[in-house]
Amino acid sequence: MNYTFKWSVLWTGESGRWLVQGLLTTLELSALAWLLAVALGILAGALRTVRFTPLRWAATSYVEFFRNVPLLVWMFFWYFGVPPLLPRGVQDWLFNHGAEFWAGMLALGVYHGARISEVIRSGIQSIPRTQFEASLAIGLTTFQAYRLIILPVALRLIVPPATNESLNLLKNSSVALTISVAELTFQTRQIETYTAKAIEAFTAGTLIYLVLCLSIATIMARVERRYAIPGLIARVGPGQ
Amino acid sequence: MTKTLALVVALAVALGLAGPVTAQQDTLEKIKSTGVLTIGTRTGSPPFAYINKNNEWVGFSIDLVELVVKPSVERAVGKSIKVEKKESTPPTRIPLLTSNSVDLIAGTMTDTPQRREAVDFSLTFFYTGAQFLVKKGSPIKSINDIGGKRVAAQQGATNAKILREKYPQAQLREFPDQPAAFQALLQGQVDAYTNDGIQLYGLKAKAPNPDEWEVVGDFYSEEPYGMAMRKGDAKFKAAVDAGLKNAFESGKYFEIYDKWFGPKGELPYPMTAQVRAYLLKQIGK
Repeated sequence: MNYTFKWSVLWTGESGRWLVQGLLTTLELSALAWLLAVALGILAGALRTVRFTPLRWAATSYVEFFRNVPLLVWMFFWYFGVPPLLPRGVQDWLFNHGAEFWAGMLALGVYHGARISEVIRSGIQSIPRTQFEASLAIGLTTFQAYRLIILPVALRLIVPPATNESLNLLKNSSVALTISVAELTFQTRQIETYTAKAIEAFTAGTLIYLVLCLSIATIMARVERRYAIPGLIARVGPGQ
Repeated sequence: MTKTLALVVALAVALGLAGPVTAQQDTLEKIKSTGVLTIGTRTGSPPFAYINKNNEWVGFSIDLVELVVKPSVERAVGKSIKVEKKESTPPTRIPLLTSNSVDLIAGTMTDTPQRREAVDFSLTFFYTGAQFLVKKGSPIKSINDIGGKRVAAQQGATNAKILREKYPQAQLREFPDQPAAFQALLQGQVDAYTNDGIQLYGLKAKAPNPDEWEVVGDFYSEEPYGMAMRKGDAKFKAAVDAGLKNAFESGKYFEIYDKWFGPKGELPYPMTAQVRAYLLKQIGK
């Protein structure tokens, strides 16, 4: 088999514009889904540790239901399963206004929210119970204790696993191409079908994902150092 | 030293790095010595090539090879031969040919100028073109009515490319595979689904209520299906084309067409005058 590399396919014609468009869509999709996932994650993660059983039960159901079904199925669920429940007029309006993108965003956000909540729960549960009791003893309500004492510490503890989960979310955004969202992987396939140069197109996609993920990891490593609480979080291994 | 060099050259050839060094295989010679014509074809593209309920590998393209091409190749090599089938898919078919794993691709491959740079094509044996599948009574009757409408296509298809470039006023939605695009049409996420006409008829036949759907519009792209061969093997190409030409002249081709696409065939798809004229024009009629 002969293969002649022709890297110029990546910047000739429309390829460059497609890659930039795909990158922007991937970033937009991932950023919105991440915000949703973090909000749901904090809520469900915190609720899973409270004493009031119905709330704990509701949060547990959410987590187990959404994290144990494949993401691809959730994409189809939000795109094919939910719209028929709405009136026809609303459906048409949605389909004319980027329903694919919003379905993809919901699928990604809700799915990763369930996974992030587990990370947050483990962070909360690693904090000694006495801190919570001490917070109540100085007159805080349960909500205040979570907001002012427990969560600020827990969120600092979970930066490494949360970074991991965020990187997964970014890479999983490519699944949205199955419901016709023109994100980065979609655009690299597009270049491949136009130019028949698969290796070049996928190499470009791979490098862009790699650079994105490495940048996020670097930023998060800085965040971790910046917000570490001296004395509370012991660092093992080489110090700063 | 010479040995090492020979080894390096052999490796390079084996890896296909030294393209021009690879000896051009004479396909007829190969068939003559082995007694076998190896074709690459599809397993899931009814009615062109697929595995049927009785677990037999059959189809229109396969019949053409067995009943039309094989006799012609037998005449050319002067002995009787046997046809062997291997599975080939769009990404693997050209590599299978260039690596000599198969001698002929006979499935649903569209003859395009871009592909002609890599392989040679036989005479066209099936002709279709892009159309639209819509709900019966839809305002979309042809490509001129798609402005502002949501149209699904399969990613990578020639028709998606045409719509994007020439009809940007349509809202194009590209899906990676046919089932998802078709589901989007069934549920109303899109107003129309565009693909090769023959594939749309196949989908319509499989829909829960086939009568609710219709295929509309003239062909707005040309999708001539051809059999692909290694580039530059003129003798083999002549043998394949001679077989097809005879079949067009004798009417054998139209008999086989009827068996698969006639009123009682696997997928009724009456041949239009436009298509008939196109096929016969190839042999100067």
